[in-house]
Amino acid sequence: MLELKDINFAVTDTEESKSTVARTIIDGISFNFERGKFYAVTGPNGSGKTTLAKLIMGINQATSGQILLDGEDITEQSITDRAHGGIAYSFQNPARFKGITFRDLLAIASGTEDERKLVGILTRVGICPLDFLDKPVDGKLSGGEIKKVELATTIARNPKVAIYDEPDTGIDLWTIDPMINLLKKEQEKYNTTTIVVSHNKAFLEAADALLLIKEGKIAYTGDFKGAEPVLKDLAACGFVEIFGGDNNAQCFR
Amino acid sequence: MLNALDKKLLKAVADLEEIPMGAYNIRKNGKLLGRNISPNIIVDTNKEGTGIVVTVKPGTVNESVHIPVIVSQAGLYDVVYNKFVVGEDSDVTIIAGCGIHCGSSESSGHEGIHEFLVGKGAGVKYVEKHVAMGDGKGTRALNPTTRVFLEDDAHVEMELTQLGGVDEANRINEATLGARSSLLVTERVMTDHRQVAVSKNEIVMAGQDSRANFVSRSVIKGNSRQDFFATIEANAKCFGHIECDAIIMDNGVNETIPALRARHPDAELTHEASIGKIANDQLMKIMSLGLTYDEAVNWIVQGFLK
Repeated sequence: MLELKDINFAVTDTEESKSTVARTIIDGISFNFERGKFYAVTGPNGSGKTTLAKLIMGINQATSGQILLDGEDITEQSITDRAHGGIAYSFQNPARFKGITFRDLLAIASGTEDERKLVGILTRVGICPLDFLDKPVDGKLSGGEIKKVELATTIARNPKVAIYDEPDTGIDLWTIDPMINLLKKEQEKYNTTTIVVSHNKAFLEAADALLLIKEGKIAYTGDFKGAEPVLKDLAACGFVEIFGGDNNAQCFR
Repeated sequence: MLNALDKKLLKAVADLEEIPMGAYNIRKNGKLLGRNISPNIIVDTNKEGTGIVVTVKPGTVNESVHIPVIVSQAGLYDVVYNKFVVGEDSDVTIIAGCGIHCGSSESSGHEGIHEFLVGKGAGVKYVEKHVAMGDGKGTRALNPTTRVFLEDDAHVEMELTQLGGVDEANRINEATLGARSSLLVTERVMTDHRQVAVSKNEIVMAGQDSRANFVSRSVIKGNSRQDFFATIEANAKCFGHIECDAIIMDNGVNETIPALRARHPDAELTHEASIGKIANDQLMKIMSLGLTYDEAVNWIVQGFLK
Protein backbone atom coordinates (compact mmCIF):
# COMPACT_ATOMS: atom_id res chain seq x y z
CA MET A 1 0.00 0.00 0.00
CA LEU A 2 2.83 2.35 0.94
CA GLU A 3 5.90 1.09 -0.75
CA LEU A 4 9.47 2.27 -0.25
CA LYS A 5 11.84 1.21 -3.03
CA ASP A 6 15.56 1.49 -2.36
CA ILE A 7 15.24 4.79 -0.53
CA ASN A 8 18.44 6.71 0.12
CA PHE A 9 18.90 9.97 1.93
CA ALA A 10 22.20 11.76 2.35
CA VAL A 11 23.17 15.17 3.67
CA THR A 12 26.32 17.10 2.95
CA ASP A 13 28.35 18.16 5.96
CA THR A 14 30.88 20.92 5.78
CA GLU A 15 33.89 19.93 7.81
CA GLU A 16 36.40 22.24 9.48
CA SER A 17 38.67 21.91 6.48
CA LYS A 18 35.71 23.38 4.45
CA SER A 19 35.51 20.25 2.35
CA THR A 20 32.04 18.82 1.97
CA VAL A 21 31.39 15.22 2.91
CA ALA A 22 28.22 13.33 2.03
CA ARG A 23 26.78 11.57 5.06
CA THR A 24 24.29 8.78 4.42
CA ILE A 25 21.35 8.79 6.81
CA ILE A 26 19.07 6.30 5.05
CA ASP A 27 20.86 3.59 3.16
CA GLY A 28 18.81 1.68 0.60
CA ILE A 29 15.62 0.97 2.54
CA SER A 30 12.90 -1.02 0.77
CA PHE A 31 9.71 -1.94 2.57
CA ASN A 32 6.02 -2.38 1.88
CA PHE A 33 3.60 -1.12 4.52
CA GLU A 34 0.33 -2.99 4.20
CA ARG A 35 -3.07 -1.31 4.50
CA GLY A 36 -4.54 -1.20 7.95
CA LYS A 37 -1.55 -2.57 9.79
CA PHE A 38 0.20 -1.13 12.82
CA TYR A 39 3.96 -0.72 12.47
CA ALA A 40 6.47 0.31 15.08
CA VAL A 41 9.76 1.76 13.86
CA THR A 42 12.52 1.55 16.42
CA GLY A 43 16.28 1.61 16.66
CA PRO A 44 19.12 3.39 18.43
CA ASN A 45 19.32 7.19 18.59
CA GLY A 46 20.56 8.61 15.32
CA SER A 47 19.75 5.45 13.37
CA GLY A 48 17.48 7.31 10.93
CA LYS A 49 13.97 6.54 12.26
CA THR A 50 12.66 10.10 12.21
CA THR A 51 14.38 10.76 8.87
CA LEU A 52 12.59 7.77 7.37
CA ALA A 53 9.25 9.02 8.71
CA LYS A 54 9.91 12.51 7.32
CA LEU A 55 10.80 11.02 3.92
CA ILE A 56 7.36 9.41 3.78
CA MET A 57 5.62 12.73 4.60
CA GLY A 58 7.84 14.65 2.14
CA ILE A 59 9.42 16.83 4.83
CA ASN A 60 12.71 15.39 3.65
CA GLN A 61 13.05 14.58 -0.05
CA ALA A 62 14.77 11.27 -0.82
CA THR A 63 18.14 11.51 -2.53
CA SER A 64 17.22 8.47 -4.60
CA GLY A 65 14.63 5.73 -4.64
CA GLN A 66 10.88 5.67 -5.04
CA ILE A 67 7.87 6.00 -2.77
CA LEU A 68 4.53 4.61 -3.97
CA LEU A 69 1.17 5.18 -2.31
CA ASP A 70 -1.53 2.84 -3.59
CA GLY A 71 0.61 2.32 -6.68
CA GLU A 72 1.01 6.04 -7.38
CA ASP A 73 4.55 7.43 -7.41
CA ILE A 74 4.63 10.19 -4.80
CA THR A 75 8.42 10.55 -4.64
CA GLU A 76 8.39 14.05 -6.15
CA GLN A 77 5.23 15.22 -4.39
CA SER A 78 5.22 18.11 -1.90
CA ILE A 79 4.11 17.78 1.72
CA THR A 80 0.81 19.41 0.75
CA ASP A 81 0.12 16.91 -2.05
CA ARG A 82 0.96 13.97 0.18
CA ALA A 83 -1.34 15.40 2.87
CA HIS A 84 -4.14 15.50 0.28
CA GLY A 85 -3.17 11.98 -0.76
CA GLY A 86 -3.94 10.74 2.74
CA ILE A 87 -0.69 10.86 4.70
CA ALA A 88 -0.73 12.57 8.09
CA TYR A 89 2.18 13.25 10.42
CA SER A 90 2.52 13.80 14.15
CA PHE A 91 5.72 15.65 14.92
CA GLN A 92 8.02 14.62 17.75
CA ASN A 93 8.56 18.26 18.72
CA PRO A 94 5.34 19.94 17.60
CA ALA A 95 5.43 23.53 16.40
CA ARG A 96 4.07 26.21 18.70
CA PHE A 97 2.38 29.33 17.38
CA LYS A 98 1.48 32.81 18.54
CA GLY A 99 -2.17 33.77 18.17
CA ILE A 100 -3.31 30.32 17.00
CA THR A 101 -5.68 28.22 19.06
CA PHE A 102 -6.27 24.48 19.07
CA ARG A 103 -9.61 25.22 17.39
CA ASP A 104 -7.84 26.97 14.48
CA LEU A 105 -5.53 24.01 13.93
CA LEU A 106 -8.29 21.46 14.26
CA ALA A 107 -10.45 23.40 11.80
CA ILE A 108 -7.85 23.26 9.02
CA ALA A 109 -6.93 19.67 9.91
CA SER A 110 -10.56 18.53 9.63
CA GLY A 111 -11.68 21.04 6.99
CA THR A 112 -14.63 22.23 9.04
CA GLU A 113 -15.38 24.94 11.59
CA ASP A 114 -18.61 23.25 12.65
CA GLU A 115 -18.60 23.22 16.44
CA ARG A 116 -20.38 19.86 16.66
CA LYS A 117 -17.91 18.21 14.34
CA LEU A 118 -14.92 19.65 16.23
CA VAL A 119 -16.37 18.45 19.52
CA GLY A 120 -16.90 15.08 17.82
CA ILE A 121 -13.17 14.90 17.09
CA LEU A 122 -12.36 15.74 20.71
CA THR A 123 -14.60 12.92 21.84
CA ARG A 124 -13.01 10.57 19.34
CA VAL A 125 -9.53 11.46 20.56
CA GLY A 126 -10.58 11.47 24.21
CA ILE A 127 -9.83 15.09 25.06
CA CYS A 128 -12.35 15.91 27.76
CA PRO A 129 -12.57 19.59 28.65
CA LEU A 130 -14.17 21.48 25.79
CA ASP A 131 -12.46 24.71 26.80
CA PHE A 132 -9.29 23.06 25.56
CA LEU A 133 -10.49 24.02 22.07
CA ASP A 134 -9.78 27.68 22.68
CA LYS A 135 -6.38 27.21 24.24
CA PRO A 136 -3.58 28.95 22.37
CA VAL A 137 -1.09 26.48 20.88
CA ASP A 138 1.86 28.48 22.20
CA GLY A 139 4.79 28.05 24.53
CA LYS A 140 2.47 27.86 27.55
CA LEU A 141 1.09 24.41 26.66
CA SER A 142 2.76 21.59 28.57
CA GLY A 143 4.67 18.87 26.75
CA GLY A 144 1.79 16.46 27.22
CA GLU A 145 -0.85 18.95 26.07
CA ILE A 146 0.95 19.82 22.84
CA LYS A 147 1.31 16.11 22.04
CA LYS A 148 -2.45 15.71 22.46
CA VAL A 149 -2.99 18.61 20.05
CA GLU A 150 -0.65 16.89 17.61
CA LEU A 151 -2.43 13.56 17.97
CA ALA A 152 -5.85 15.17 17.49
CA THR A 153 -4.84 17.12 14.37
CA THR A 154 -3.40 13.93 12.86
CA ILE A 155 -6.52 11.87 13.57
CA ALA A 156 -8.76 14.73 12.37
CA ARG A 157 -7.26 14.27 8.88
CA ASN A 158 -8.86 10.81 8.64
CA PRO A 159 -5.61 9.63 7.08
CA LYS A 160 -4.91 6.49 5.08
CA VAL A 161 -1.42 6.52 6.55
CA ALA A 162 -0.85 8.01 10.00
CA ILE A 163 2.72 8.56 11.12
CA TYR A 164 3.43 9.28 14.78
CA ASP A 165 6.97 10.29 15.68
CA GLU A 166 7.53 9.40 19.34
CA PRO A 167 3.96 10.19 20.40
CA ASP A 168 4.73 9.35 24.02
CA THR A 169 7.31 12.13 24.56
CA GLY A 170 6.10 14.29 27.44
CA ILE A 171 3.06 12.06 28.02
CA ASP A 172 2.63 10.73 31.55
CA LEU A 173 3.00 7.00 32.02
CA TRP A 174 -0.68 6.33 32.71
CA THR A 175 -1.70 8.04 29.45
CA ILE A 176 0.38 5.73 27.24
CA ASP A 177 -1.99 2.76 27.37
CA PRO A 178 -5.05 4.85 26.50
CA MET A 179 -3.03 6.38 23.65
CA ILE A 180 -2.15 2.95 22.29
CA ASN A 181 -5.79 1.93 22.58
CA LEU A 182 -6.80 5.03 20.64
CA LEU A 183 -4.33 4.36 17.82
CA LYS A 184 -5.43 0.71 17.69
CA LYS A 185 -9.10 1.73 17.60
CA GLU A 186 -8.39 4.19 14.75
CA GLN A 187 -6.43 1.51 12.93
CA GLU A 188 -9.23 -1.03 13.20
CA LYS A 189 -12.20 1.25 12.64
CA TYR A 190 -10.80 3.27 9.72
CA ASN A 191 -8.30 0.72 8.41
CA THR A 192 -5.54 3.28 8.99
CA THR A 193 -2.03 2.21 8.18
CA THR A 194 -0.33 3.28 11.38
CA ILE A 195 3.40 3.91 11.69
CA VAL A 196 4.74 4.77 15.12
CA VAL A 197 8.36 5.74 15.71
CA SER A 198 9.09 4.81 19.29
CA HIS A 199 11.51 3.44 21.86
CA ASN A 200 8.66 2.53 24.14
CA LYS A 201 8.17 -1.20 24.70
CA ALA A 202 4.42 -0.72 24.99
CA PHE A 203 4.22 0.55 21.39
CA LEU A 204 6.59 -2.16 20.13
CA GLU A 205 4.41 -4.83 21.72
CA ALA A 206 1.22 -3.32 20.37
CA ALA A 207 2.46 -3.29 16.78
CA ASP A 208 1.59 -5.92 14.17
CA ALA A 209 5.10 -5.63 12.84
CA LEU A 210 8.28 -4.01 13.91
CA LEU A 211 10.98 -2.33 11.83
CA LEU A 212 14.33 -2.05 13.48
CA ILE A 213 16.53 0.59 11.88
CA LYS A 214 20.25 0.61 12.51
CA GLU A 215 22.72 2.87 10.72
CA GLY A 216 20.12 3.78 8.10
CA LYS A 217 19.31 0.20 7.17
CA ILE A 218 16.56 -2.20 8.19
CA ALA A 219 18.23 -4.51 10.71
CA TYR A 220 15.09 -6.54 11.45
CA THR A 221 11.45 -6.80 10.46
CA GLY A 222 8.93 -9.04 12.13
CA ASP A 223 7.12 -9.36 15.43
CA PHE A 224 8.27 -8.11 18.80
CA LYS A 225 9.22 -11.59 20.07
CA GLY A 226 11.68 -12.14 17.27
CA ALA A 227 13.11 -8.67 17.77
CA GLU A 228 13.88 -9.12 21.44
CA PRO A 229 17.33 -10.72 21.03
CA VAL A 230 18.32 -8.03 18.50
CA LEU A 231 17.05 -5.28 20.79
CA LYS A 232 18.97 -6.77 23.74
CA ASP A 233 22.05 -6.80 21.57
CA LEU A 234 21.53 -3.14 20.72
CA ALA A 235 21.06 -2.30 24.37
CA ALA A 236 24.57 -3.56 25.14
CA CYS A 237 27.06 -0.83 25.74
CA GLY A 238 28.10 0.77 22.48
CA PHE A 239 30.39 3.24 24.19
CA VAL A 240 33.67 1.67 23.05
CA GLU A 241 32.42 1.17 19.52
CA ILE A 242 30.99 4.65 19.18
CA PHE A 243 33.33 6.82 21.17
CA GLY A 244 36.49 4.71 21.17
CA GLY A 245 36.70 4.62 24.98
CA ASP A 246 38.74 2.21 27.06
CA ASN A 247 37.95 -1.47 26.79
CA ASN A 248 38.00 -1.97 30.51
CA ALA A 249 35.64 0.87 31.34
CA GLN A 250 33.47 -1.78 33.05
CA CYS A 251 30.25 -0.80 31.45
CA PHE A 252 27.82 -3.67 32.01
CA ARG A 253 24.61 -1.94 31.09
CA MET B 1 -25.39 61.18 4.03
CA LEU B 2 -22.80 58.45 3.60
CA ASN B 3 -21.52 57.74 0.10
CA ALA B 4 -20.20 54.34 -1.02
CA LEU B 5 -16.58 55.21 -0.28
CA ASP B 6 -17.46 56.54 3.19
CA LYS B 7 -19.29 53.31 3.92
CA LYS B 8 -16.34 51.26 2.78
CA LEU B 9 -13.97 53.20 5.03
CA LEU B 10 -16.36 53.08 7.98
CA LYS B 11 -16.75 49.36 7.59
CA ALA B 12 -12.97 48.92 7.54
CA VAL B 13 -12.19 51.04 10.58
CA ALA B 14 -15.21 50.59 12.81
CA ASP B 15 -17.10 47.58 11.45
CA LEU B 16 -19.97 49.93 10.81
CA GLU B 17 -22.39 49.24 7.98
CA GLU B 18 -24.56 52.25 8.72
CA ILE B 19 -24.77 55.09 11.19
CA PRO B 20 -24.34 53.40 14.61
CA MET B 21 -26.78 53.27 17.50
CA GLY B 22 -25.96 55.17 20.67
CA ALA B 23 -23.36 57.88 20.96
CA TYR B 24 -21.15 58.64 18.01
CA ASN B 25 -19.14 61.31 16.29
CA ILE B 26 -18.17 60.84 12.68
CA ARG B 27 -15.57 63.16 11.23
CA LYS B 28 -15.03 63.38 7.51
CA ASN B 29 -12.29 65.40 5.83
CA GLY B 30 -11.72 67.52 8.92
CA LYS B 31 -15.39 68.34 9.44
CA LEU B 32 -18.21 66.93 11.51
CA LEU B 33 -20.37 64.55 9.50
CA GLY B 34 -22.68 63.39 12.23
CA ARG B 35 -23.02 63.27 15.99
CA ASN B 36 -25.31 61.69 18.49
CA ILE B 37 -25.29 61.69 22.25
CA SER B 38 -26.92 59.36 24.70
CA PRO B 39 -28.25 60.19 28.17
CA ASN B 40 -24.98 58.91 29.65
CA ILE B 41 -22.41 59.73 27.00
CA ILE B 42 -22.04 63.33 25.94
CA VAL B 43 -20.00 64.34 22.90
CA ASP B 44 -19.01 68.01 22.63
CA THR B 45 -16.67 70.04 20.46
CA ASN B 46 -13.78 71.28 22.58
CA LYS B 47 -13.29 74.97 23.40
CA GLU B 48 -10.56 75.40 20.81
CA GLY B 49 -12.65 73.75 18.13
CA THR B 50 -9.85 71.30 17.42
CA GLY B 51 -11.58 68.12 18.47
CA ILE B 52 -14.14 66.59 20.78
CA VAL B 53 -14.64 65.92 24.45
CA VAL B 54 -16.47 62.69 25.24
CA THR B 55 -17.83 62.60 28.74
CA VAL B 56 -19.10 59.35 30.21
CA LYS B 57 -21.24 59.82 33.30
CA PRO B 58 -20.18 57.88 36.40
CA GLY B 59 -21.77 54.44 36.65
CA THR B 60 -22.49 54.11 32.90
CA VAL B 61 -22.19 50.47 31.99
CA ASN B 62 -22.43 48.44 28.80
CA GLU B 63 -22.49 51.45 26.52
CA SER B 64 -20.31 52.28 23.59
CA VAL B 65 -19.27 55.31 21.61
CA HIS B 66 -18.04 55.32 18.03
CA ILE B 67 -15.71 58.09 16.88
CA PRO B 68 -14.43 57.16 13.43
CA VAL B 69 -12.60 59.53 11.13
CA ILE B 70 -12.55 59.31 7.37
CA VAL B 71 -10.24 61.17 5.05
CA SER B 72 -10.92 60.97 1.34
CA GLN B 73 -9.98 64.52 0.31
CA ALA B 74 -6.65 64.71 -1.48
CA GLY B 75 -3.95 66.80 0.14
CA LEU B 76 -5.69 67.04 3.53
CA TYR B 77 -3.74 66.55 6.73
CA ASP B 78 -6.31 66.44 9.49
CA VAL B 79 -5.19 66.97 13.10
CA VAL B 80 -7.64 66.34 15.91
CA TYR B 81 -7.42 66.55 19.71
CA ASN B 82 -9.92 64.34 21.48
CA LYS B 83 -10.44 63.95 25.18
CA PHE B 84 -12.34 61.20 26.96
CA VAL B 85 -13.45 61.67 30.52
CA VAL B 86 -14.74 58.37 31.86
CA GLY B 87 -16.63 58.64 35.13
CA GLU B 88 -16.11 56.43 38.16
CA ASP B 89 -17.35 52.84 38.07
CA SER B 90 -18.47 53.02 34.48
CA ASP B 91 -17.69 50.37 31.91
CA VAL B 92 -17.68 51.45 28.26
CA THR B 93 -16.31 50.58 24.85
CA ILE B 94 -14.81 53.30 22.67
CA ILE B 95 -14.38 52.51 19.00
CA ALA B 96 -12.09 54.87 17.16
CA GLY B 97 -10.13 54.53 13.98
CA CYS B 98 -9.24 56.29 10.83
CA GLY B 99 -9.67 55.31 7.24
CA ILE B 100 -7.84 57.18 4.50
CA HIS B 101 -8.66 56.88 0.86
CA CYS B 102 -6.03 58.33 -1.38
CA GLY B 103 -6.98 58.51 -4.99
CA SER B 104 -4.49 61.08 -6.29
CA SER B 105 -0.82 61.96 -6.14
CA GLU B 106 -1.42 64.38 -3.28
CA SER B 107 -0.69 63.13 0.19
CA SER B 108 -3.29 62.80 2.91
CA GLY B 109 -3.00 62.13 6.57
CA HIS B 110 -4.58 62.13 9.98
CA GLU B 111 -3.14 62.79 13.37
CA GLY B 112 -5.41 61.83 16.24
CA ILE B 113 -4.27 62.87 19.68
CA HIS B 114 -6.40 61.08 22.24
CA GLU B 115 -6.30 61.67 25.95
CA PHE B 116 -8.16 59.40 28.36
CA LEU B 117 -8.94 60.20 31.96
CA VAL B 118 -10.31 56.99 33.41
CA GLY B 119 -11.97 57.45 36.78
CA LYS B 120 -11.76 55.26 39.86
CA GLY B 121 -12.95 51.72 39.29
CA ALA B 122 -13.91 52.43 35.68
CA GLY B 123 -13.32 50.07 32.80
CA VAL B 124 -12.63 51.08 29.21
CA LYS B 125 -12.17 49.01 26.15
CA TYR B 126 -10.62 51.10 23.40
CA VAL B 127 -10.49 49.75 19.85
CA GLU B 128 -8.56 51.72 17.26
CA LYS B 129 -8.14 50.55 13.69
CA HIS B 130 -6.16 52.32 11.03
CA VAL B 131 -6.64 51.54 7.39
CA ALA B 132 -5.55 53.25 4.20
CA MET B 133 -6.67 52.40 0.71
CA GLY B 134 -6.96 53.79 -2.78
CA ASP B 135 -4.60 53.58 -5.70
CA GLY B 136 -3.31 57.15 -5.67
CA LYS B 137 0.41 57.77 -5.50
CA GLY B 138 0.20 60.22 -2.60
CA THR B 139 1.53 59.30 0.82
CA ARG B 140 -0.96 58.11 3.40
CA ALA B 141 0.15 59.07 6.89
CA LEU B 142 -1.49 58.13 10.19
CA ASN B 143 0.07 59.37 13.37
CA PRO B 144 -1.97 58.43 16.43
CA THR B 145 -1.11 59.44 19.96
CA THR B 146 -2.89 58.01 22.97
CA ARG B 147 -2.33 59.24 26.49
CA VAL B 148 -4.08 57.31 29.20
CA PHE B 149 -4.38 58.17 32.87
CA LEU B 150 -5.82 55.40 35.02
CA GLU B 151 -7.06 56.33 38.46
CA ASP B 152 -7.09 53.77 41.27
CA ASP B 153 -8.76 50.44 40.39
CA ALA B 154 -9.39 51.45 36.78
CA HIS B 155 -9.00 48.96 33.98
CA VAL B 156 -8.18 49.77 30.37
CA GLU B 157 -7.87 47.41 27.47
CA MET B 158 -6.57 48.83 24.21
CA GLU B 159 -6.55 47.16 20.83
CA LEU B 160 -4.56 49.16 18.34
CA THR B 161 -4.26 47.93 14.79
CA GLN B 162 -2.82 49.12 11.53
CA LEU B 163 -3.18 46.40 8.97
CA GLY B 164 -1.88 47.76 5.75
CA GLY B 165 -1.95 50.61 3.28
CA VAL B 166 -0.43 53.18 5.63
CA ASP B 167 2.80 54.63 4.22
CA GLU B 168 3.98 56.48 7.28
CA ALA B 169 3.00 56.00 10.89
CA ASN B 170 4.36 57.55 14.02
CA ARG B 171 2.52 55.89 16.84
CA ILE B 172 2.83 57.11 20.39
CA ASN B 173 1.21 55.47 23.41
CA GLU B 174 1.65 56.74 26.93
CA ALA B 175 0.00 55.53 30.09
CA THR B 176 0.16 56.31 33.78
CA LEU B 177 -1.34 53.77 36.16
CA GLY B 178 -2.83 54.45 39.59
CA ALA B 179 -3.03 51.99 42.47
CA ARG B 180 -4.48 48.55 41.63
CA SER B 181 -5.28 49.68 38.12
CA SER B 182 -4.53 47.51 35.13
CA LEU B 183 -3.71 48.10 31.50
CA LEU B 184 -3.62 45.66 28.63
CA VAL B 185 -2.40 46.96 25.29
CA THR B 186 -2.32 44.86 22.14
CA GLU B 187 -0.78 46.54 19.14
CA ARG B 188 -0.75 44.89 15.73
CA VAL B 189 1.00 46.50 12.82
CA MET B 190 1.56 45.15 9.34
CA THR B 191 3.65 47.02 6.80
CA ASP B 192 4.49 46.25 3.19
CA HIS B 193 6.19 47.86 0.16
CA ARG B 194 8.21 50.88 1.36
CA GLN B 195 6.01 51.68 4.35
CA VAL B 196 7.52 52.87 7.60
CA ALA B 197 6.00 52.58 11.06
CA VAL B 198 7.45 53.69 14.34
CA SER B 199 5.78 52.83 17.62
CA LYS B 200 6.92 54.52 20.83
CA ASN B 201 5.38 53.39 24.10
CA GLU B 202 5.92 54.66 27.59
CA ILE B 203 4.08 53.14 30.52
CA VAL B 204 4.52 54.52 34.02
CA MET B 205 3.43 52.34 36.91
CA ALA B 206 2.76 55.03 39.52
CA GLY B 207 0.40 53.24 41.90
CA GLN B 208 0.91 50.28 44.17
CA ASP B 209 -0.20 46.88 42.81
CA SER B 210 -0.80 48.22 39.33
CA ARG B 211 -0.45 45.77 36.45
CA ALA B 212 0.43 46.33 32.81
CA ASN B 213 0.83 43.99 29.89
CA PHE B 214 1.95 45.32 26.54
CA VAL B 215 1.73 42.94 23.60
CA SER B 216 3.06 43.95 20.21
CA ARG B 217 2.82 41.89 17.04
CA SER B 218 4.49 43.14 13.89
CA VAL B 219 4.59 41.75 10.39
CA ILE B 220 7.10 43.44 8.12
CA LYS B 221 6.75 42.58 4.44
CA GLY B 222 8.34 43.84 1.21
CA ASN B 223 10.92 46.58 1.79
CA SER B 224 9.06 48.05 4.75
CA ARG B 225 10.44 49.01 8.12
CA GLN B 226 9.08 48.98 11.65
CA ASP B 227 10.70 50.22 14.79
CA PHE B 228 9.24 49.43 18.16
CA PHE B 229 10.20 51.02 21.44
CA ALA B 230 8.50 50.26 24.74
CA THR B 231 9.45 51.27 28.23
CA ILE B 232 7.79 50.34 31.48
CA GLU B 233 8.81 52.45 34.40
CA ALA B 234 7.90 51.21 37.86
CA ASN B 235 7.63 53.66 40.71
CA ALA B 236 5.73 51.36 43.05
CA LYS B 237 5.20 47.68 43.82
CA CYS B 238 3.72 46.50 40.55
CA PHE B 239 3.81 43.96 37.75
CA GLY B 240 4.67 44.87 34.19
CA HIS B 241 5.34 42.81 31.10
CA ILE B 242 6.26 43.63 27.50
CA GLU B 243 5.92 41.01 24.80
CA CYS B 244 6.99 42.03 21.34
CA ASP B 245 7.24 39.68 18.41
CA ALA B 246 8.05 40.53 14.84
CA ILE B 247 7.78 38.36 11.76
CA ILE B 248 10.04 39.47 8.95
CA MET B 249 9.18 38.57 5.38
CA ASP B 250 10.95 39.49 2.16
CA ASN B 251 13.40 42.35 2.90
CA GLY B 252 11.63 43.84 5.91
CA VAL B 253 13.70 45.61 8.53
CA ASN B 254 12.86 45.74 12.21
CA GLU B 255 14.29 47.23 15.34
CA THR B 256 12.71 46.23 18.64
CA ILE B 257 13.79 47.79 21.89
CA PRO B 258 11.89 46.87 25.05
CA ALA B 259 13.14 48.62 28.17
CA LEU B 260 12.38 48.13 31.84
CA ARG B 261 13.04 50.77 34.45
CA ALA B 262 12.52 49.82 38.10
CA ARG B 263 12.53 52.60 40.65
CA HIS B 264 10.98 50.55 43.41
CA PRO B 265 12.41 47.44 45.12
CA ASP B 266 9.14 45.50 44.77
CA ALA B 267 8.73 46.16 41.07
CA GLU B 268 8.39 43.02 38.98
CA LEU B 269 9.10 43.74 35.34
CA THR B 270 9.68 41.29 32.51
CA HIS B 271 9.95 41.40 28.77
CA GLU B 272 10.27 38.99 25.90
CA ALA B 273 11.12 39.94 22.36
CA SER B 274 11.63 38.02 19.18
CA ILE B 275 12.33 38.89 15.57
CA GLY B 276 12.50 36.30 12.84
CA LYS B 277 11.05 34.65 9.81
CA ILE B 278 8.14 32.25 10.12
CA ALA B 279 9.60 29.16 11.75
CA ASN B 280 10.12 26.20 9.47
CA ASP B 281 8.47 23.75 11.86
CA GLN B 282 5.30 25.89 11.80
CA LEU B 283 5.22 25.83 8.00
CA MET B 284 5.83 22.06 7.87
CA LYS B 285 3.03 21.43 10.34
CA ILE B 286 0.49 23.55 8.45
CA MET B 287 1.50 22.10 5.08
CA SER B 288 1.11 18.61 6.54
CA LEU B 289 -2.51 19.62 7.23
CA GLY B 290 -3.02 20.21 3.51
CA LEU B 291 -2.23 23.91 2.95
CA THR B 292 0.27 24.97 0.27
CA TYR B 293 3.39 26.91 1.27
CA ASP B 294 1.81 30.28 0.42
CA GLU B 295 -1.46 29.40 2.13
CA ALA B 296 0.46 28.28 5.22
CA VAL B 297 2.43 31.56 5.36
CA ASN B 298 -0.78 33.55 5.03
CA TRP B 299 -2.59 31.46 7.62
CA ILE B 300 0.22 31.79 10.18
CA VAL B 301 0.43 35.58 9.64
CA GLN B 302 -3.35 36.01 9.93
CA GLY B 303 -3.31 34.07 13.20
CA PHE B 304 -0.36 36.06 14.51
CA LEU B 305 -2.20 39.32 13.88
CA LYS B 306 -5.61 38.10 14.98
